[in-house]
Amino acid sequence: MSTQSSPKITRRATRSGLPQLSNYFSEAWRFRTFAWRWSLADVKARNFETFLGRIWHIINPLLFGLIYFIFVGIIAGGGVGSISFLGAIVGNLYAFLFFNMIVTMAIATVQSGAGGVLGQSSIPRIVVPIASTITSMNLFLRSLVAYALMHIISQRGLHIEMLLAPIVVILICMFGFGFALICATLNVYIRDVSRLIPHFLRLWMYLSPVIWEYTRITGGGTLNQLARFNPWYSAMTAWTISLGGTLDPDGPKIWEQIGIFSIWSVAIFFVGIFLFISKEDEFAIRN
Amino acid sequence: MQLETDAIRVENLSVNYSIVAESPLDQKRKFYNKSTRKTEIKALDDISFSIPSGQIVGLIGGNGAGKSTLLKTMIGVLKPSKGRIDLWGRPHLLSPGMGFNRLLSGRENVVLGGLAAGMTLSEIKEKQDSIIEFADIGGFIDLPMTTYSSGMFGRLSFAVATYNRPEILLIDEALSAGDAAFKERAVQRLKDLCDSAISIVVVSHSSTLIAEMATEAIWLHRGKIKLQGEVQSVTDEYLKFQAEGNETAQLDQR
Repeated sequence: MSTQSSPKITRRATRSGLPQLSNYFSEAWRFRTFAWRWSLADVKARNFETFLGRIWHIINPLLFGLIYFIFVGIIAGGGVGSISFLGAIVGNLYAFLFFNMIVTMAIATVQSGAGGVLGQSSIPRIVVPIASTITSMNLFLRSLVAYALMHIISQRGLHIEMLLAPIVVILICMFGFGFALICATLNVYIRDVSRLIPHFLRLWMYLSPVIWEYTRITGGGTLNQLARFNPWYSAMTAWTISLGGTLDPDGPKIWEQIGIFSIWSVAIFFVGIFLFISKEDEFAIRN
Repeated sequence: MQLETDAIRVENLSVNYSIVAESPLDQKRKFYNKSTRKTEIKALDDISFSIPSGQIVGLIGGNGAGKSTLLKTMIGVLKPSKGRIDLWGRPHLLSPGMGFNRLLSGRENVVLGGLAAGMTLSEIKEKQDSIIEFADIGGFIDLPMTTYSSGMFGRLSFAVATYNRPEILLIDEALSAGDAAFKERAVQRLKDLCDSAISIVVVSHSSTLIAEMATEAIWLHRGKIKLQGEVQSVTDEYLKFQAEGNETAQLDQR
């Protein structure tokens, strides 16, 4: 006698495209603890074999900041006199580095298959870039300890706008995550993307007000307008003001820049998620 | 009265995919031409079978027969090109070290591997001692996994995956790790799991292991089912086929 119920799972031939989103996200939610723990393990393992261990999470950004401090302040002629500006550069660099980490780590983990998670299990693929983004956020928050030191040395002071800094961080995270998913998906089809991305990100950093002041392009003219269309112009302007106050009382306002960057972040975030999910069933074959 | 229901039903399943491969070296080409070519692989070709719940079924066949492709399609990593697979339970592929971070200790990796296998933290906490006891790797459990031999690695992976109690367990050559004593315990563990109505599909090149564990076997050859039935008769035919020198790695291209 047979009492066969309807199957729990059915795999059938379908065209590539979006899966049923409620099922997909509830399945991804089931692996939230895995993403969190996997990310913590990654952070822990990073400096596992070094003598200084976890202290490197603070030393690394401090050294990185110091190198740019010397490069921009002394070699490129920025002048050590403007110590506050140099503090701003270090703060901006950490924010851009945070974005850079989200993108490069997501591409690398998706390409490597994340220790068999992508090729040997039915875990929704998006869990992997989520885990790598948590890792990037973790490392960024640690770098803020180093920044706090720089902030005091460069006498940037305390400002009411600092309360808006967490919003800018969340927006950078959303923008970075969406952009990372777009790049990780493209990289599955065109491997050259992972080679190109580091150069592209470096160029993007130099074209954005990271190591130069946002007030340089506040004037009119097509070139200035084009430069301000760059999402990282809004992001860096909002970030710079939130940490150190405005550089020009008649220049861009923090709320306005947060608003513009919010539009970019939400758009890129959703485009990235939908592109990644709609193509992820081809990852196992192409990876 | 014995109720026999299917755990897995495969109907007219075909899986094709394309891979990018290096062009033959002897092919003359200009520097701007691509050095790679796209190759269509016909990994599974119109296969149908069903596996009742609570059974261990062995999957045998040479390299490139489509065994791993079949398991990966069951877990949803690969997509059918034609046909369907119905599953009456959530499948789990026992994949050595999935989710592990080799720089961390075995104990920490029990948590990571368990979470990757779909367990909750409280389930892992509850079963952690049993998992470690089953893996039987002594003091190594608190050392980084980079210090483990492949046997130790395989034992811990196997322990984590089988304590997860998946509804359908898929094993792809994962029993090749470990010594004879561990293999014996592993086989017993799988038989115990089957007693609680878990269905298991085992892929192995070792027909001895398949014969020892499974009740039924499916022999895949070049993406098609060559023979299916009682394990001893299928493995005997497979061994005869091998002895005649017919079994070589296949790459079916369309």
